[in-house]
Amino acid sequence: MLITPTLLLAGCERTLNALLARDPAAPARLAALAGSRLLVRLEKPHLALLLCYHATGVDLQHGDEVEETDVDAVVELTPETLSEWLSGASIERLMFDGKLAVRGRIHLLEATRDLLFDLDIDWESELARWLGDMPAHSLAEGIRRAARWGLRAKDELLQDVSEYVFEEARLLPGRQQRDVLRDHLTELEIATDRLEARLNRLHKRLTQPAEPSTPKEQRG
Amino acid sequence: MSPTEKRTTHFGYQEVPVDEKASRVADVFHSVAARYDVMNDLMSMGIHRVWKRLTIERAGVRPGHHVLDIAGGTGDLTLKFSRLVGPRGKVVLADINASMLRVGRDKLMDNGVGGNVEYVQANAECLPFPDNSFDCITIAFGLRNVTDKDAALRSMARVLKPGGRLLVLEFSKPNNPLLSKAYDEYSFRLLPKMGELVAGDGESYRYLAESIRMHPDQETLKGMMEAAGLERVEYTNLTGGIVALHRGIKL
Repeated sequence: MLITPTLLLAGCERTLNALLARDPAAPARLAALAGSRLLVRLEKPHLALLLCYHATGVDLQHGDEVEETDVDAVVELTPETLSEWLSGASIERLMFDGKLAVRGRIHLLEATRDLLFDLDIDWESELARWLGDMPAHSLAEGIRRAARWGLRAKDELLQDVSEYVFEEARLLPGRQQRDVLRDHLTELEIATDRLEARLNRLHKRLTQPAEPSTPKEQRG
Repeated sequence: MSPTEKRTTHFGYQEVPVDEKASRVADVFHSVAARYDVMNDLMSMGIHRVWKRLTIERAGVRPGHHVLDIAGGTGDLTLKFSRLVGPRGKVVLADINASMLRVGRDKLMDNGVGGNVEYVQANAECLPFPDNSFDCITIAFGLRNVTDKDAALRSMARVLKPGGRLLVLEFSKPNNPLLSKAYDEYSFRLLPKMGELVAGDGESYRYLAESIRMHPDQETLKGMMEAAGLERVEYTNLTGGIVALHRGIKL
């Protein structure tokens, strides 16, 4: 379908701009980027995306028909490089490794990453728009308290379960017991090795041809 | 063609004198201007936004470009173009209808658009701009309301810069008979009812459905664009041909 990619892009753009609108740091970053155009080309699957920044967000467009001379920077990358870049690898390192090809204003890339991945969405102010300041703050505090309680409860539960499993029910060995067991096993291994060596020696002695007997006996 | 036939044109399924069509179309849009966006969303189930988005993508507009959005109505395309051309570029929103232009201007101002957008009340048949002045011209769902379409296309080709693109987004003929049948049912039965309920004006929406049927199909419009002096004319059917996006380049 011809309109499916357009529909997807429209959805991404809307979501992205909605998120950016809720980040207090975004307007300053966008103001610095406004008017810039960044063309991102992904090798496999072949995909070209044009990001056009403006003061209130970013427009996403198909980049297939876009000439390189019409944009401020062009980035060519593979999906692996993209994931490395998104997970925080420095652009310089990726460029020196030959994984990332950038032409034009390189700092646009850094700015893009800062804008998109340092999103710090102010949910509380968004809630305040709907509910009013006080209820939103109480609700946000409640959610934060619940989240803290959830984290603490999770830690405690893990602790309790591990104590029960290792110490009380003794279903699994604990770390110390495992270490002792490992020492014993190592000792046993060494002892078996020694025994094996001894057996080998004995076996060799038994199978060796008998020592040449004394001349007297031969003659007898 | 006899002189009497020559002086009439179609207004939906009716034949009206040529001089009357513009004022009748104007009445339709004066009547629907306030609810235009809501009705568009409702009638097309929001798909018109995707069609317009595709038009913008095909327009290839860059910073510094001069863009003319004819019959721009409530400014959907202009809003996006104004961002794409940046402060060095210019977008002219032209519409023959003052009510639509007013709604569009208010909407754009509410969206913080200013500076690089101009508003012009103009007839597409005789555009009040010098030759070779725009890098891109778009007319979305406007051409079928123009009385003399050939004159309008010639006028657009005249004001387009060499190398510039003209994009015509307009209702067309569905290429699947089944879809065509469903579409007819929808537009002649449901559409006027929706118009009656939401915009309080069923007649205008009956005109909309009729004017779509009277509009030239994909190939005819392509021929008309070529006759107007545009080259490399191509079209893309959207949503099974309910809408077609024609693009021509002035060389």
